[in-house]
Amino acid sequence: MYSFTKEQKIFDISGIKIGGQPGVHPTVLIGGLFFKGEPNFISAEKQINNMLNLSKKLGVPSIPDFFIRKEEFIEKILNFIEKKYPKNLPFSIDIIEPDLKIKTLEALHKKNILSRTIYNSIHVGITHEEHDSLKIHTPSSAIIVAFNPKDKSPDGKIEVLQNGANLIDSGLIEITKKIGIKNILVDTAAMAPGDYSGAAIASIPVIKEELGLPTGCAIHNVVEKSKWLDDFESARKHVDASSNVNISLFGGDFAIFGPIHNSDIVFPMIAWQDILISEYVENYFGVLPDDSHPRRILS
Amino acid sequence: MGKIKTSVIGSYPVDIDIFNHVKGYFNQNVISWDKYIESAVKDMLKSGIDIVSDGQTRDSFVNIFTRRLKGCRVRDRTEIIGKVDYDGPITIDDQKYVKNLVPKNRKLIGLITGPYTLTKSCVDLFYKNEKELAFDFATALNQEAKILQNHVDIIGIDEPFFSMGIPDYGKELIDTLTNGLTLPVRLHICGDISNVIAEILEMPVEILSHEFKASPKIFDSFKQYDVKKNICLGSVRSDLPDIESVDEIVKHIKKGIDIFGDKITQLAPDCGQRMLPRNVAFEKLKNLVKAGEIVYG
Repeated sequence: MYSFTKEQKIFDISGIKIGGQPGVHPTVLIGGLFFKGEPNFISAEKQINNMLNLSKKLGVPSIPDFFIRKEEFIEKILNFIEKKYPKNLPFSIDIIEPDLKIKTLEALHKKNILSRTIYNSIHVGITHEEHDSLKIHTPSSAIIVAFNPKDKSPDGKIEVLQNGANLIDSGLIEITKKIGIKNILVDTAAMAPGDYSGAAIASIPVIKEELGLPTGCAIHNVVEKSKWLDDFESARKHVDASSNVNISLFGGDFAIFGPIHNSDIVFPMIAWQDILISEYVENYFGVLPDDSHPRRILS
Repeated sequence: MGKIKTSVIGSYPVDIDIFNHVKGYFNQNVISWDKYIESAVKDMLKSGIDIVSDGQTRDSFVNIFTRRLKGCRVRDRTEIIGKVDYDGPITIDDQKYVKNLVPKNRKLIGLITGPYTLTKSCVDLFYKNEKELAFDFATALNQEAKILQNHVDIIGIDEPFFSMGIPDYGKELIDTLTNGLTLPVRLHICGDISNVIAEILEMPVEILSHEFKASPKIFDSFKQYDVKKNICLGSVRSDLPDIESVDEIVKHIKKGIDIFGDKITQLAPDCGQRMLPRNVAFEKLKNLVKAGEIVYG
């Protein structure tokens, strides 16, 4: 259990509070959609509604993360967000290719929904064009990925956030702040199994202690790539879901927990874990949970 | 005159495809760094350089070591947060890789950033005693050097901070680092070393390497000493992108011969070339090799 000496930033992203000392605000769960194939909007609507119901019931906040793989999906996915997703709630846009990112930023701006957008993500691969586009079409929130190809340890992750590790001209935090993005979330960059994958979890308390920013990761990615689990197919989904409790346990603020259809398992797990943490930090540090915390709702 | 070799000091510029690494991360694939090392080594070989290095492409010459030593924490400047100690091989895997790229008629220099330079480059939050920290660095680096000598032909120690003044324990420090080494050791100190030449000449190394091109006044400073050590003559600038002509380098080497005679055993750039554009670094090396051939045949 952790309590940090550095002041912890708490951001209010369209009504969802994220960050702070462990045990105050619940872990925010970010569930992904549209990783493969054509976007299935009927299924997506169901899954999102299920996730929102779980949030309401358990007190664990949720944010959908829309993965956009192709240009032809941009308009369709953004229209879906506009029409089918509650207009007061935040969402995350997850894109790898810089060109797609730029086109999506323009479209988000046009639809006037940048204030609800969490831009996933800014990293050392940011191009000048993407940077310029972000300055014009600035989302209110962004996830910064602390991936450092030169050093995958917690120190390497801090380095890339603080000074860019000589890969880019300045640190990712400075770049993001200068763009004008207000709410900065740090993703500790879970690596492949055997490639410092545990450092993503170990980095959470280090980054929170040094930078005070809301921190989390997509640790479930490591489970997805753990080939030995192929021999334990019935356990894979549970291992995937339960990997997320590491984030809360190490003081993290959000879990990018993978496919949204894992929500039924992940949400109760995290609610339980958050209650456990809250009980402990209240006893030991005197830290009280927020009114919306699962411990207030479920205990 | 056959013993003259062209060499490099250490770092070499490479074009890092950052987005490729990022894509690898998103796809959970490990992207190797080897291609950057290969790119640096191949440039050096193609330019005709006799003694090549791994190019120190991974990091700054300080962070390469502090990132892997116990007691160090890499931040804006490396912080010393515990007792500095060796934690296993630092540069060895890269040297093994480079060794396979280098033909038998070329040599490989293994580079170690000196203990005094590491000490001066770090923020000490633990020792509060510069000398103690420096000796712990030297002891740790000695372990690296002992393994390194099995994979390279010469050891290079980079101690730029000596140019600002050598502490009274400077010689003992280098002695600690080189203790038990059987390979020739080259000590590189760039900058204006006019005020510390007497101490440098006492160092327990075989070859002294200095920035003679950017600081030609050190030629004159050396005149008053009887130089018994071999010299690596810095002959092209590492801080300016202007490419020296072959003629200019030839003149410079001849000036060096006037002072050091046959003590010159290596020709090299003034310093690491990391900050130069890659094509400029390459052309400088090519001209250095051509000038060396003109002077020494």
